Amino acid sequence: MTNELSKPNKGVFDAVVFANKQIRQRFYRVGLEFSGDGAAAFGKAKAGQFAELDLSCIALPPIEGIAEDLRDAAERKILLRRPFSFCDVSSRREKTRVDILYCAVGPATLRMTTLSAGNSVSVIGPLGNGFQMPAGKRTALLVSGGMGAGPLIHLAKTLATDYPDVEVIAFAGAKTKTELPFERPLDEISQQLGFSLHEFARYGVESEVATDDGSVGYKGLITDCFSKWLGRRSLSAKDTIIYSCGPETMLAQMARIAGERGIDCQVSMERRMACGIGVCQSCAVECKVNGSSETIYKLCCEDGPVFDSREIVFKL
Amino acid sequence: MTETVDISVDFAGVRLANPVFTASGTCGYADELTDFMDINLLGGFITKSVTLKPRKGNPPNGGRIVETDSGMLNAIGLANIGLDAFIQEKLPVIEKLTVPVFVNVAGETIDDYVAVVQRLATEQAIAGFELNISCPNVAKGGISFGTEPAQVTEITSAVKKAAGEKVLMVKLSPCVTDISVIARAAVEAGADALSLVNTFTAMVIDIETRKPVLANRTGGLSGPAIKPIAVYLVNKVYNEVAKERGIPILGLGGIRTASDAIEFIIAGASAVAVGTANFIEPGCAVKIIEGIKKYCVRKEIKNIKELIGCLEQAQIDPP
Repeated sequence: MTNELSKPNKGVFDAVVFANKQIRQRFYRVGLEFSGDGAAAFGKAKAGQFAELDLSCIALPPIEGIAEDLRDAAERKILLRRPFSFCDVSSRREKTRVDILYCAVGPATLRMTTLSAGNSVSVIGPLGNGFQMPAGKRTALLVSGGMGAGPLIHLAKTLATDYPDVEVIAFAGAKTKTELPFERPLDEISQQLGFSLHEFARYGVESEVATDDGSVGYKGLITDCFSKWLGRRSLSAKDTIIYSCGPETMLAQMARIAGERGIDCQVSMERRMACGIGVCQSCAVECKVNGSSETIYKLCCEDGPVFDSREIVFKL
Repeated sequence: MTETVDISVDFAGVRLANPVFTASGTCGYADELTDFMDINLLGGFITKSVTLKPRKGNPPNGGRIVETDSGMLNAIGLANIGLDAFIQEKLPVIEKLTVPVFVNVAGETIDDYVAVVQRLATEQAIAGFELNISCPNVAKGGISFGTEPAQVTEITSAVKKAAGEKVLMVKLSPCVTDISVIARAAVEAGADALSLVNTFTAMVIDIETRKPVLANRTGGLSGPAIKPIAVYLVNKVYNEVAKERGIPILGLGGIRTASDAIEFIIAGASAVAVGTANFIEPGCAVKIIEGIKKYCVRKEIKNIKELIGCLEQAQIDPP
């Protein structure tokens, strides 16, 4: 007899693609469905965790469908799996569906765009540590840069479900309007009270948007937009928590902003990984050792990818 | 039916249930992979490198790995927990295993190597050592011990004394003019077995920044890309050194499938190790063991020993 406890927490599972949709330009959202032990393992997946997908056997799109700047990269054979976090996880009738937001930028993600319903993909996961829940907090601020929005959408859902009393506000930045990884056209969005990005709004979460070129929302960096917003609000530092995911330069700024105000801040880091399961030691993240000037290298895959921002030694 | 095939191997006096190891640095210290495979199904297990003192490894800036076509470069820099933590935290796990365990040993000086081996030589749970004199990613020690025959002799004989009854396997670098010269030096200095090959020193350049992708500049190339070269080098060392002296070879370099493993065995390896493939398919070593058995059945090979070094001459067409 099998019970919940005897089922593996992680493993290598085959998932079936149920949808793979281009949401805008190079951004896509793929849905994977797990059954059996995979459904049990991924049913417990937390926001901020990730999975390693084997995309090496997936066909490339036709060459004319590949942007000029990616054609050389497209021709590379891929060997290693690729890590992706989730933008949604839902379980129903013994199956678990996992959604991944991705951007076609290289040989693996280009192949990923050709996945279609019914295809099978080998997935290792769920891996790493997700975001820690905001126990005792009143406000959770979700700040993303570019593709970093994915795991924060997942987190918004978790917070709405499990922490209905916590006020959640999302901040999403990108270089320009077309690089915001959201499906609905941003022009149609009411700017009365910031933005209403559908992906967050469906969980009752309001959003602010910034683009470097001002093509939509605040003109400038999301960290500046966020910092100004924070200045206008009188939040109690101890009742507030920041969750952030995006480029490392942005995370370094988030760590600084949070640090100056004494607000707890969790950042989701990114590293090139070979294994994702703690054996290859590729994905080192330099971390401070409590109360000393010494540093140690933790592993993004096993100790992270979510870290307390105070822990990280950002080198920029 | 497969039960009639004997794929067990005598590896320098250690009985292996089958000829498949996992390579150093690709399966940690055995406790990291329990969700993915039963380590005890392997023929042998090789730990991640152990050095006398803990090593942080190379700075993470810019990444420690990069993928290339059918391969990857790593420049981890022998990050490991050090001898003391290995004994306290990992040895108790290893003691529970039934599979023969080899400890991969690295260092900056000969004394470092000797100190680690001496301390572990009396441990029942350890079958032997793999002497890493071929790591390309550290400033001191590593590969420099494995490229000069005189140094190979010196370090091998010093460690051999410290190893006592344990099997001493020397891991060779392919980055030498003639690998047989190095292999001979190791064997004459007391190596009980040879493992080859370690990674190839290699570089990937970012053409936008015109900088090496790895902060370490270079990394060690592994994966399917190196397999044919590794097969050739195993065959060369087998023919020129190992065969006549009865020294077993552990063949490695890009093995992903049973067919890959069998190529190495035909070339002269008594056993093989799966490395990079563990990152992609943790547990693939177990599939490889099954595949080797099936091949033996199909080829009516009763004992895998019949296969070791059985390479036939290629057909030579008259000029």
